[in-house]
Amino acid sequence: MAVLSCHGRAAPTSALARVRAAGVLRWGGDIQGGEPYVYEDSEHGGRLTGFEVELASALARELGVRAQFVQNDWSALIPSLERGTFDVALNGVEVTAQRVGRVRFTRPYYIFGARLMARRDDARILATLASLRGRRVGTLANSYSYELLRGVAEVVPYEGVEEPYIDLVQGRTDAVLLDDIIATRYGEPKPELRVVGDLTDGYYAIAVRPAEADLQQALDRALARITASGELERILRGSNIWSDRERRLLAWTDDDQRRMLGTAAAGQRFGWSHVVLFAKGALVTLLLSALSMCLAIPLGIGLAVTRLYGPKALSRLAGAYVELYRGTPVLLQLYVLYYGLAPIVKLDALPAAVLGLGMNYAAYEAEVYRAGIQAVPRGQMEAALSLGMSLPLALRRVVLPQAFRLALPSVTNDFIALLKDSSLVSVITVVELTKQMTITAVDIRGWALPGALCALMYFLMSYPLSLWAQRLEARLARS
Amino acid sequence: MIEVHELRKVYGERTILGGITATFEKGQVVALVGPSGGGKSTLLRCLNGLESFDSGRVVVGGETLLPGGAKVNRAALHRVRQRVGMVFQQWNLFAHRTALGNVIEAPVHVKGAPLAQATERGRELLARVGLSHREGAYPHEMSGGEQQRVAIARALAMDPEVLLLDEPTSALDPERVGEVLDVLSALAADGLTMLIVTHEMRFAREVSHRTLVLHGGQIIEEGPSRSVIDDPKHERTRAFLGLDRK
Repeated sequence: MAVLSCHGRAAPTSALARVRAAGVLRWGGDIQGGEPYVYEDSEHGGRLTGFEVELASALARELGVRAQFVQNDWSALIPSLERGTFDVALNGVEVTAQRVGRVRFTRPYYIFGARLMARRDDARILATLASLRGRRVGTLANSYSYELLRGVAEVVPYEGVEEPYIDLVQGRTDAVLLDDIIATRYGEPKPELRVVGDLTDGYYAIAVRPAEADLQQALDRALARITASGELERILRGSNIWSDRERRLLAWTDDDQRRMLGTAAAGQRFGWSHVVLFAKGALVTLLLSALSMCLAIPLGIGLAVTRLYGPKALSRLAGAYVELYRGTPVLLQLYVLYYGLAPIVKLDALPAAVLGLGMNYAAYEAEVYRAGIQAVPRGQMEAALSLGMSLPLALRRVVLPQAFRLALPSVTNDFIALLKDSSLVSVITVVELTKQMTITAVDIRGWALPGALCALMYFLMSYPLSLWAQRLEARLARS
Repeated sequence: MIEVHELRKVYGERTILGGITATFEKGQVVALVGPSGGGKSTLLRCLNGLESFDSGRVVVGGETLLPGGAKVNRAALHRVRQRVGMVFQQWNLFAHRTALGNVIEAPVHVKGAPLAQATERGRELLARVGLSHREGAYPHEMSGGEQQRVAIARALAMDPEVLLLDEPTSALDPERVGEVLDVLSALAADGLTMLIVTHEMRFAREVSHRTLVLHGGQIIEEGPSRSVIDDPKHERTRAFLGLDRK
């Protein structure tokens, strides 16, 4: 007993002690965020580079440990921090109202401007939030700019930094509001776009778990030291992102810190308005799935019939379609359709989503119908032909109705799968049920309730279908 | 009515039809008999293009079918099939249609007959095969004999000039064979031209005018049914009919 308690006392009792004992500061970030934050330098064999890499090393050195990078999807940095995947989140994490209540922020290491960009030929957009009222404005989902825009403009949420500017050039949005670092790298090089102006200042700070105050304080001291010594300025200048704003970092006070955190209002409570938003998201999901299936079914039948009965060249083409669409990720297909083909065909997000999902599912439906058609006895076709029916008529009147009945349970199952796969279209800015859930989860600083409601809504949509499919199968088995 | 000239079909190494020449007259009932694998069914299926052949030709009521299958004969086949009905060993009723639905399908959708007229005629035909009471039944609800009688009514609904029957009773339970043969006898009595592949020798002898014996893809014997069946000349026919064993 005595030995045990002795050990207990010797064990690390604080976060800082834990980090020091481990000898590493594990910091979470996303390489996908790209230059100049954290990225792999292709010229140096993929070495990790970026101003945040240097910052993490400098801070670790101050703490007397090594910095260790942990790759994590950017949108899940905070949940991963909470569950202990790494010690701190350090990757352009903006100080927003939603995050303040959830994590403990250090003093900022960078002050950015929320930069508004518009098309060069569009004079309606001014450097004020008010001028954005009713306009479609792109930004990163759950970012500081997203918070600014909500309730003012029609916000189009993105998951990558390049896509908002592509869509702005295409005219799918009227403006983009994002951190100046991002605008400089991804927006300003586009000749079609102009900088309208910077709306407000925002802050990047290091996120620490709420209970680990000592780690936060140690990091604050370390930050203060490297700011005072000029190392921070050297790092930021090295990435060409030092601006006049950063001077404020040199004289950062406790008051400044309070003001930065204080602008953050209390988080929202989960309420009726969220349920309404969820219902809207569910409606989008249902509509999207139904329309996609309406496209996938006839296209799939066409593909299956062409593959089985068409001339050799067309049959091969249909086969190639099926293999291509089944052999590549639907996410990639959506990207190509929406962004890749944008210079040629400019589809809106919802039609692109329906087309993308429909064309993908058509490949699967084609295989279901092919199996169905092949399961119809040969004699049915022979009887039809012997009565003078042409091949198309025989297919339409005799073979396909029977094949369709055989395929119906599989088709229903595919529809249920589609209901859930439709969440992928959030990458092309469609806000459906799952996207609504992640947005709400950030708003209310918790995943449990929105997650449960989201799951319930999917279930309410798919379970009746599932029951229907079961009854159908039973009925078919009897006949 | 139907002329077959030097019809040849080869399947890999195997000769299915070895140059068959035959003529089938209007108003005649002809039985095709012989051991399994002799080419009877294949010959029958060549007549309405369900099988292709390698050389020779088939002339049906002035329409000529040539080697090369459906691709070559598309237009001719479409006309031939409207004039030649077919009844299959496995009935092949449309599984998703009722008895009446099966019968009126082709008149309505191939000939473009008005639904009311096709339905009326369909009911007459079902009455003729003794199945008025089953018009709403689906194939899976009927016995084999009933299904085959519906299949005959379905073929008749297109008013064919010739009816091809491919072993129409072979897949039936023995006690169901009679009802189908009765229907066929009645049709023969009405003067319908029929070509029937069958193993029912008594039926062939009583009902058909002429009998062709196929063996190894050749017609080895033909003549009036009674003389061929009662007193075959060819030894293989005798062997097939089991006459030598007695």
